[in-house]
Amino acid sequence: MKIVAAKKILNANAQLAEELRARLDAVAVLGVNLVGSPGCGKTTLLEALVAELRGRLAPVVIEGDIAGSIDAERIDALGVPVVQINTEGACHLDATMIGAATQGLDLAAADLLVIENVGNLVCTAGFDLGEHVRIVVLSAAEGDDKLVKYPAIFRGSNALVLTKCDLLPHTNFQVDRAAADMRRLAPEARMFQVSALRGEGIPALADWLVEQHAATRSGA
Amino acid sequence: MHEVAIVDALIGQVQEEVRRAGASGRVTRLELSIGRLSGVSVDAVRFALELLAPGTPVESARVDIRQPKALCCCQACGSRTEIETVDCRCPRCGSSEITIEGGRDMILESIELEDADP
Repeated sequence: MKIVAAKKILNANAQLAEELRARLDAVAVLGVNLVGSPGCGKTTLLEALVAELRGRLAPVVIEGDIAGSIDAERIDALGVPVVQINTEGACHLDATMIGAATQGLDLAAADLLVIENVGNLVCTAGFDLGEHVRIVVLSAAEGDDKLVKYPAIFRGSNALVLTKCDLLPHTNFQVDRAAADMRRLAPEARMFQVSALRGEGIPALADWLVEQHAATRSGA
Repeated sequence: MHEVAIVDALIGQVQEEVRRAGASGRVTRLELSIGRLSGVSVDAVRFALELLAPGTPVESARVDIRQPKALCCCQACGSRTEIETVDCRCPRCGSSEITIEGGRDMILESIELEDADP
């Protein structure tokens, strides 16, 4: 006997992700999946964004790490509700983990749910977390060849944020090359150059998130 | 090694499909399709199957994996060329004015079960 299934593997994850997206839509919360390699500056970027968005969007945060709660403590110190997920070895978050983590958050009181994924450019690409936008973070220190070397994560993202741009003069990172590769991999994606430590470029990214939040609300 | 999580989900999905079809018994063959640009390693999938299949209905299944290529669509020369990797250049004319389609999906195509005893 042959059963023709013709269904996506990770269908179960995709269905859970859709349910999560519907839950976020119902309370007008924009879901953001923040991905990038370890040390690219995801948490520092998030700290800068939280400060910039104060009074405009109320954030809640889910921190995904293999172990520890260092990142969650940094977000907690800003007075932002945060839940830490420890994957205990797993290299990515999935929709089941996010579903469980959101139980500890008051989504109805929030405008923005930021999920900081495990630092990884490979495994995180395959898992829809129920977000509305995926932001991929790449730092000037990592090199401009990462888009071609890890195309899957860039291809499925809605925005590329180049971080640590204050270091650009000290590297051989070619912004033009990264920008051109991103246009080929994800023609619709937006690109931002920032230095989170200095605050440069953060207002433009914050404005974009406010726009995305408005679009989610009108679409809901 | 997200392939372990993917294969774990796959085995659950196979069991669910078999149950929904009102069938039972050992799985003899699985057909999968894993796109070249899915970011998933077929070798790692096979390794994860060795790890996770024992004790499940797919334990002794033959697993056939198709690896569909992606399409490089060139705006300069108009060609549509199958590609296995991304190099951000049209393989025909070398132009960088390209977009890439497909090659990302992972699909459980079909499940074959051993014939039930008459």
